[in-house]
Amino acid sequence: MASNPKTPSRFRSRSDAKTPLTPSLISSFNAISLSPRKHPADLSNPFLARSRPASPVKRATTGAAFPSSSGVTHGGVIRKGGVESRLDVVSHDYHPPKVNQNARPELKRSRSTPSTRERTLSHSSSHGDRFITTREDDVAPASLSSTATANLAPTATSSPGHTARLANATGVPLNRRVLAYHEPPPASSNAAFLTTQRNLARPLYSRADLPSSNGTWKDKSRKVPTTPERVLDAPGMVDDFYLNLVSWSALNAVGVALGESTYLWSADSGVVSHLGDAPQGTYVASVDFSNDGAYLGIGLGTGAIELWDAGTGQRLRTMQPSDDAGGQCASLAWYAHVLTSGHSSGTIHHHDVRVPRHLVATLEGHAGEVCGLRWSSGGEVLASGGNDNVVNLWDGRGGDVGATTRGAPKWTKRNHTAAVKALAFAPWAPLLASGGGTSDTCIHVWNITTGARLHTYQTGAQVTGVHWARDRKELVSTHGFPGNALAGWAYPPPSGSSGSRTGAGAVAGSSSNAKIFEIRDAHDARVLFSALSPNGEVLVTGAGDENLKFWRIWEAKEAKKKSKAKQETSVGRGILSIR
Amino acid sequence: MATSQAPTRQAITLKGSCSLVTEFFKYAANTILFQRGVYPSDDFHMVKKYGQTVLVTQDLALENYLDRILKQVNKWLLTGAVTQLVLVIISKDSRTSLERWVFDINVVEPPSDSTEPSSQKPESEIQAEIRSILKQIVSTVTFLPIIDDPTVFNILAYTKDSADVPADEWVDTDPLAIEASKSQQVKLRSFSTDVHRIEAMVAYRYEG
Repeated sequence: MASNPKTPSRFRSRSDAKTPLTPSLISSFNAISLSPRKHPADLSNPFLARSRPASPVKRATTGAAFPSSSGVTHGGVIRKGGVESRLDVVSHDYHPPKVNQNARPELKRSRSTPSTRERTLSHSSSHGDRFITTREDDVAPASLSSTATANLAPTATSSPGHTARLANATGVPLNRRVLAYHEPPPASSNAAFLTTQRNLARPLYSRADLPSSNGTWKDKSRKVPTTPERVLDAPGMVDDFYLNLVSWSALNAVGVALGESTYLWSADSGVVSHLGDAPQGTYVASVDFSNDGAYLGIGLGTGAIELWDAGTGQRLRTMQPSDDAGGQCASLAWYAHVLTSGHSSGTIHHHDVRVPRHLVATLEGHAGEVCGLRWSSGGEVLASGGNDNVVNLWDGRGGDVGATTRGAPKWTKRNHTAAVKALAFAPWAPLLASGGGTSDTCIHVWNITTGARLHTYQTGAQVTGVHWARDRKELVSTHGFPGNALAGWAYPPPSGSSGSRTGAGAVAGSSSNAKIFEIRDAHDARVLFSALSPNGEVLVTGAGDENLKFWRIWEAKEAKKKSKAKQETSVGRGILSIR
Repeated sequence: MATSQAPTRQAITLKGSCSLVTEFFKYAANTILFQRGVYPSDDFHMVKKYGQTVLVTQDLALENYLDRILKQVNKWLLTGAVTQLVLVIISKDSRTSLERWVFDINVVEPPSDSTEPSSQKPESEIQAEIRSILKQIVSTVTFLPIIDDPTVFNILAYTKDSADVPADEWVDTDPLAIEASKSQQVKLRSFSTDVHRIEAMVAYRYEG
């Protein structure tokens, strides 16, 4: 009953986050960005016209029209007017349009407004314009009466005073023309070759991908296979950002929830087994293996949590939600015998799976659905991320706490501007990486102890998952819109992008330097679920396109040859179905 | 005897001087395009010129393009209409000008009262001056900033107001100047014939 109002809300939020919104967003952005661009242009022209620099602009048009229409003779008239009668500006302002109008009546129509404007302008200039200082009147007309200056001065900044000042500053005499050949130079026949050649010929010091003193190694030559090593069908996989439906155990089994059923796929043998189904009327919202891989926790849409033996395929117990538990259990995390569950109400429960009264603690720290939940490997801290854009870090030491204990987070971070689902603890340093959703697209790296934000990666796409490499200083992130990509990042981001400054809140620039690899369009839909293999080499990703894909992104350095042999055999198996 | 006579004649006449200057521009432009990596280096082949090897493009399209420009420059030189030639190297993507190679062309006014040409510069001396400019262009690579992005070039001609301009081939344009605050300038050597004096200068974008 309680789940029924939740589920529609879940789907509504999902459709909000999905593509239907994004085009409309983009179009509205376009409208916003275009309209101010139009207005200044419209405003600037009248302004230019009123304050007299319009006359050089006008000259530019007439000057340009002449050579194209009937060649040198008309151009000669203009030039004579410019050179000889420098003092008599007004009369020559009149002449060229008259010649034009006599010669071709069709031009008269098109030029009617500028010419009248010019007439008023010339009047105003003869009477003295309040917008123009006398100094400019002294300097400008003589020089401006030539077509050259009109052409020399770019139309956007063709104020006469500016032109004069520009000419003074650059030392370019104003009676000079700057000419360029009408066609651009030909491109090189082998432009693609040029870029590779440049890369090779570039001197060592100008290469960005050198190891820095802080241990970053950004080796661009490293090949990351851009095709999945293996693709499994996952029909019925729910396309919901807030769920966590893939887990990879220490015993090398992948647990996948498809709708209401849970399957195990053994990565060693490739055998698929159907573990079980959720009770009638609900669905699996999260799966997570215990640290030893023997047990699988399954969070349900009702908020209940089932405990399954992964070896025998038996359901061991069902932990019903207590009265105040709120909604679906979208995230699960194990540490030893403690199974922690995050619920859509924002509460986090610790369950001791050994004892009958399983609920040992409740953590209240989120106002939105808890969709990211992760224990550090040593069980010291628990990180949680919610739909309220908050990252909380909780002390993992439960102690003798009763069911009524309300914990307070060790620290709370509100830097993200979208739901935080992606959380990962670095295995080799006290670091937490957290990634935000569509409107945030940032990955922040936090020091666990101090809570300081050390680095930020701007990914440019919804972050749906993040994982640290086990034996490299790298992390990989999975993304939704746009791109549906996997991306690898160097940690720390290379200096120079100002990312390695130790001050709080250093931001890694555009982060393009930090990106090691990117697999674009890894899935046809947003990559929602991901898990790293126990040996840290393969990442499994699941998406709304109902595929599970296995990516060998971090090849263990010593085991390279072995894994290559393995790869060949695995390719032979091709696409398997687990259902 | 005849061979040695011809160059000296060439240097003192206007026509000869113009073709000499035009030829210099051809090799200077080629050297710049090669040294600054505007075109890939294997588009160029080595040619013996001015007593040294000069790299000249063998890309037909580019060769024709330069020829067409220089033909007009030669015409302008004959009338004394062109005062400056600028080769601008522009970033292909951002369209900002990165380097401007400026060649000032000054017409040396012959003293009107003297009937016989007073200073006849030997051809070999002119060639030596040209050679040193070209060598200097090569050596600028050591201090010019490294260009990472793909670039294109553009040749601008600063002409006098009265210049005879083929209307459909040459168009008035923006000088593609580098902002003064971000520009560094290095003056290069100059060379002179009896009629022309060419002064070279490079301005490059340098922020920092």
